[in-house]
Amino acid sequence: MEVLRAMRRKAGTYVVLGPFVIVLAFPFYWALTTAFKKDRDLYNAQSNPYVYNDGSGHAHWDFWNYMTFHHVSFLFKHTEYPTWLENTVIVGVAVVAITLVLALPAGYALARLSGRWGQSAGVGIFVVYLVPPTLLFLPLSRLVAELGLRDSLWSLILVYPSFTVPFATWLLMGFFKTIPQELEDAALVDGCSRLRALRRIVFPVSLPGILTVVIFAFSLCVNEFIYAFTFTSSTGERTLSAGVPNELIRGDVFFWQSLMAAVLIPSIPLALLYNAFLDRFIKGFTGGAFR
Amino acid sequence: MAERPGLTREQLVKRGAAGAFAISMFGGLADKAHSFAGPLRFKDRQLKGDLKILQWAHFVPDYDTWFDNTYIKNWGEKNDVQVHVDHINNALLPSAAASEVAARNGHDLVQFLFPPSALEKQVVPVNDLVQEVTKKLGKMTDVAYKSTYNPKTKRYFGFPDNYVPDPIQYRKSFWFNAGVAPNTWDNVRKAAATLKKAGHPVGLGMSNELDSNMFLMSLLYCYGGALQTAEGQPNINTKGTIAALKVMKEIYQQGESDEVFAWTAASNNQAFVAGRLSLAVNAISIARTAEDSGNTALSDDTWLRPIPRGDVRALGNEHVMGIYFIWKFAKNIPAAKQYLVDQQLAYRDHFLQSKFYNFPAWTNAVKGGFKAMNKLAAADKHKPLGKYTILTTIAQRYTTNVGYPGFANAAVGDIFNQFLIPQMFAQVAQGKMTAEDAARSMQGQFRTLYAKWRAQGLQ
Repeated sequence: MEVLRAMRRKAGTYVVLGPFVIVLAFPFYWALTTAFKKDRDLYNAQSNPYVYNDGSGHAHWDFWNYMTFHHVSFLFKHTEYPTWLENTVIVGVAVVAITLVLALPAGYALARLSGRWGQSAGVGIFVVYLVPPTLLFLPLSRLVAELGLRDSLWSLILVYPSFTVPFATWLLMGFFKTIPQELEDAALVDGCSRLRALRRIVFPVSLPGILTVVIFAFSLCVNEFIYAFTFTSSTGERTLSAGVPNELIRGDVFFWQSLMAAVLIPSIPLALLYNAFLDRFIKGFTGGAFR
Repeated sequence: MAERPGLTREQLVKRGAAGAFAISMFGGLADKAHSFAGPLRFKDRQLKGDLKILQWAHFVPDYDTWFDNTYIKNWGEKNDVQVHVDHINNALLPSAAASEVAARNGHDLVQFLFPPSALEKQVVPVNDLVQEVTKKLGKMTDVAYKSTYNPKTKRYFGFPDNYVPDPIQYRKSFWFNAGVAPNTWDNVRKAAATLKKAGHPVGLGMSNELDSNMFLMSLLYCYGGALQTAEGQPNINTKGTIAALKVMKEIYQQGESDEVFAWTAASNNQAFVAGRLSLAVNAISIARTAEDSGNTALSDDTWLRPIPRGDVRALGNEHVMGIYFIWKFAKNIPAAKQYLVDQQLAYRDHFLQSKFYNFPAWTNAVKGGFKAMNKLAAADKHKPLGKYTILTTIAQRYTTNVGYPGFANAAVGDIFNQFLIPQMFAQVAQGKMTAEDAARSMQGQFRTLYAKWRAQGLQ
């Protein structure tokens, strides 16, 4: 009886969640199948677009005979895709590090030390995040040129914190407020300095929030396009978001299979990362909502 | 218990991670440091330094591979200049140029695929280069002249490198079944319904994208319409424009669907290569993609011909016009100028490597002119044999510049970049405006645009 009730509960959950899963996972499935499709299959209007087909548009159960690695091979051998991946990771890691260095003490200070105006200041800092890059890329372009950083990854490492830090500060501010003040007071009474209390007590407890900032800041760096496109122009200095649309969309010809492979490859580790830290990620976002 | 000497596992992992991070982050600094030191490479040379070029990612990837790895390297070695070429998506060229102007920093040479008339005040005039090349190769083509010369300021604001003829590509078997040939727009109008019923509509866009822009302006010319007079006065409100609007409305209503209002530059390519469309007005990227797809049933059935004739004439725009310009703030203007001249003087390989996409602005840049280009095109092995030879005919007799019969001035550039012509056609096709009202309304908009550029002294 209990077993039946449990099964019914689970079935209900799956019925509700199932359509969402299918809709959200479908783009990944589409990208995966398209990446290995032959041109004759992809461009044939008679073909079933969800499976692999022969040249006449007939689907086959032995799909491996109708796939090709040519387009993925093209991506790695005839474009600078590995370099773009590397550049994206370098920029992402550097920006995350800078963001943490700036946002952690800023968020703590606004949460604990600034009194009533701390909340307003936090909101004000967050509003900076809402200014769209399409307004800023032209004046920033001049600044980047003046600093001699044009066509260099350093331009992105310098500029990206302008939107990751405000968001991270606001998020961490909310999260720090959920940590009981008594924990830190106890540490201070025991002789810890403020910095040591921060390092030994607050940060370990704030790990979900910090992880949220890390993942979110990294995602923002990977997705950002307009600064990456404007400040870097050499193929070897591009990140994924600038390199892929520039070199896999040539005039009016889209290299669809290579494009799908290009977007799928970085998505998988990011998806795994989100999945591995999902509980902490949710805690990080919602921690600040309940004070 | 005494502490064990050496590192704990935790300390080792932490230090190793920090070291790996430092190497990955700051290892590149050595490379940057090196660029500030080193012997003078180009001492006592006429040309020296670096040359940075920005141009589009050619739809033929092999062209860019040859260009970057062979042509540029050879030219650079011969002239002792370190050449860097960057390729970007052609749709992003204007924004890239805008950011370079804002920064007063960027590449030395930038190639646009349409006349950069609005940038005249930011670029170096190249009258001297045009004279030099003309002395050696004779006159440039009319399409190149009218795309790069400003008769008001008497300056060449851009150096014309190449233009791309714009044929129609059509499925011979579908049109055979429809019982007409696509040699006149009247035939296209007559066959549109039949072809749509057969599941193979014509593919004529009315969307804010390059192909629609070029095709619809060409349609205007075929019916005696135009954007402006030969003297550069706005002149869209004419009988020819109204006739073209009405024909396109009929073609759309009988033979197309709403999708054409949302097309991108790639849409007609993809629909044609998927076997759906019976006709498209596009550069040969459609035919070449069909060949590369391995679908010989499609590619062998894809024929090329000049733009269909309207009531007045058969005349079309170039599909794109490759024009280089040199920023006033460029760091190596002498090398940029020499590069442009040298590239034009020997254009045969560019014509071949681009698979006959790039036609030189000076016809004699390929030795033997159109005759030689025709012979090269005739050697193409794809079926139907000799189909690309029509391109030289189209280039000679059926190709003109954006802004015909006048020059491609800054106002025409604005009209082009704001997609005013596709919007006008779309309004009429959807029944939102009559052809007469649309032409009248557009004339008003044109007057404002022309006045703006007149006030800036550019026309």
